[in-house]
Order: sequence, then C-alpha cells, then structure tokens
Amino acid sequence: MKWQADDAARQAFLSSHAHAALVSADMPLRANLAVLENIAVVPQYRDNLSYREAADVAWNLLLTAGYTDCAYKRDPALNHEERFVAKLLRAAVSRPDLLLIDRPAMLLPDTRYPPFVDELLRRMETHLNDCWILDYLWNKPLYAPR
Amino acid sequence: MIPFMSWLTDFLIRRGAAALSMWRTWRGIFRFAGQALTATLTPAAYNSATRMVVMKQIYFTAWQILLPFTLFAGLLSYVVIQIVVSTAAQYGLSEYALEMSMRVLVPEVLPLVTALFVALRSSSAINTEVALMRIHNEIDALEAAGVDTLRMEFMPRVIGGVVSVVALTAITSVLALALAYIALYGFQLWSLPDFTRVMGKVFDLTIMVGVWVKCVAFGLAVTVIPVAEGLATPKMLFMAPISVLRGMVRLFFVLMFIEVASLALKYL
Repeated sequence: MKWQADDAARQAFLSSHAHAALVSADMPLRANLAVLENIAVVPQYRDNLSYREAADVAWNLLLTAGYTDCAYKRDPALNHEERFVAKLLRAAVSRPDLLLIDRPAMLLPDTRYPPFVDELLRRMETHLNDCWILDYLWNKPLYAPR
Repeated sequence: MIPFMSWLTDFLIRRGAAALSMWRTWRGIFRFAGQALTATLTPAAYNSATRMVVMKQIYFTAWQILLPFTLFAGLLSYVVIQIVVSTAAQYGLSEYALEMSMRVLVPEVLPLVTALFVALRSSSAINTEVALMRIHNEIDALEAAGVDTLRMEFMPRVIGGVVSVVALTAITSVLALALAYIALYGFQLWSLPDFTRVMGKVFDLTIMVGVWVKCVAFGLAVTVIPVAEGLATPKMLFMAPISVLRGMVRLFFVLMFIEVASLALKYL
C-alpha cells in the first residue's frame, strides 16, 4: 500500500514511478477492441506473437483471474469489476517490474474494493512481480490491517 | 484615429492568430505524413499486430464496399460513355468517341469519385475514431502499455487508405474499359485489336504514371488528413464533431487541389 495525503502527493508519486505499469481511471481500454484483444495486443505487438498465441496468453490470464465470461465484451458492455480486471491484466501481461493500481475506488465505485482487489491479486500472484496500490490516507480504514 | 488604430490592431491580432493556427495545423498534417511514410517504408515497423491491422483496414475500406461501389462506378461509366458516344455521333466525331470517353473517365473521373467515396465512408470514420481516442486518453493508455500507436493504429490506416483507393480505381477502370468496348463494338471480340490500339495511344507511360501518382496522393490525403486532424483535437468531447468538420473540409479542398494540379500539369 502507498498512502497518499492528497492529489498533489499522488501526482508526484506517479511522476517518480513513471516506468511502472499503471492501472488507472485515466488509462482506458481501447473501445473498439474486446477485452481479450485489449490484453492480447500487448504481447502481439511487443513480442511479435501471432494473434492466436497472444490470444492464448490473454485467455490464460483471464482464466486465472476467473473472468473469461467478459473476454469478448467491449468496454461499454463491461461492468466496473470486469473493466478493472481487463485493465489489470493488460498492465500485467508484459510482466512489468512494478504495477501500480491508482485509486481503486475510482475504478470500482460500486464494490467494496479492498477485499475484491486483494482476492484478485492473490489469484494473479504468479503473474505479477511487485504490485502497489495507491490510495488516499482517508481510505485507510477500509483496508484490512496489513 | 485612435478607434481606427484599435480596430486595426484587433483585426491584425485576430487574423494573425488564425494564420498561426492554420500554419500549426498544416505543419501537424505534414509532420504526421512524414512520420507515417517513414514508418511505412521501414520493414522493421511491420510485425504480427501491424500486419493484422493493415489487413483489417483494407477489408473495411476496400473489400466491404467493393460490390456496391463497383456497380455504381459501372453505371456511372456506362452513362458517361453513352453520353460521349451519342454526342460525338451527332457532331460526326464517332471515331474519337472511345478516346474522349476514356480520357475523361479513367484518369480523371474514376480516381476522383473513388477518393470522394472513400473519404465519405472511411475518412470521416477515421477522423471521429482518432478524435475520440485522443479525447478518451486511449492513445496514451496504449503507449503506456508499450504499444507504439503510430505503427499499431495510424500507419495501418494510411496503408489501408492508399491500397484501397489504388485498388478500387484499378478495378473500376478495368470495368470502364470493358463497358466502353461493349458500348462501341457490342458483344464480340474481333474489334479487340482496334480497341487496344486506341487505348495504347490514350494511356501512354506519362498518363499511366500520372494516374498512379494521383491515386497514391488521393489515398494519402483520405487517411493522413483525418488522422492528423483527430490527433490535433483538444481533449474535450464537444470538440469531436468540430474536428471531423474541419478534417472533412480540409480533405475536400486537398482532393480538389490534387485534381486541379494534375489537370494543370497535363493540359497547361
């Protein structure tokens, strides 16, 4: 957890960790691609995989997260949780050294998000290196003691 | 005197700002055209993802509209040929009818109609999509995920546009030639040597090179201008329709400029 006192502190923190993969409300999915394609496009482009190979990688991630139902949905058809998972997997698929989840409350407005995020990260732990959650200090009571 | 000076200063400031804005827009268009062309001619820019998007773009821009557009172009060509043939017959110039109709249709009308059709169908969609991608931050999100949007999103659209305009022009031109033959000689083959001799005279190397250069220029215009205009859209949703409007107006004038310039080069 990385607690931030205010927005200025959060912005400064993000600037000092510009190399990290970001899961944020400011980083939307590509609207004309399905969730599977949004995730697959990263290995397909970066590692020059064929679409089939890249889609397999994306499918396995969705399977691990338990969200294969939304694989062929596009962004407008997703609920907040599915959209969050899609963004997380897109950021995680290239196995970055550091993954930052920025203000999960903005991404999951209708969910009691601390347990949801914890459970998702637990499922994905073999696919993630370091993962930090950025949240404001005033949301600290929502999280279980760590 | 002072009110006049104030009006003049205000006028010059406003005109100057408008001129600067136009200069920045055109600089952005030419810069993007340079980047896209450089990427297109760089073999390393092509990978599995890029090739897939190029194929999709050609499918959406050319293949999906092939049948209706070919039928329309065939009808238009047949009507133009019939008008030229019957008018030439009235003036006793029947021997020039084939040459005249082909000189009008293949190098001038068909490439321009194709470019306008692609512009109406695809360029407006490209402009809207790129503007919305920019407004919704999708471009930054893809870049942050390590995907080069020039290679992945924009270069394929430029290649798709050029290939589509060239391919559709080629197909409709061949159809126009066939229709001209049928209109003049009917359904028989023994006038083929006469026909090919006239076509050889009409379409010499200079004309053919000119047609292909013009088609490539049209293809670049129908994709480069909407993409560049979309990329220049301020990040405000209400600017999306304004961006499309500006892009389409610029595109229309550029297409007309290319056509007039090619006519001037040929006939002046």
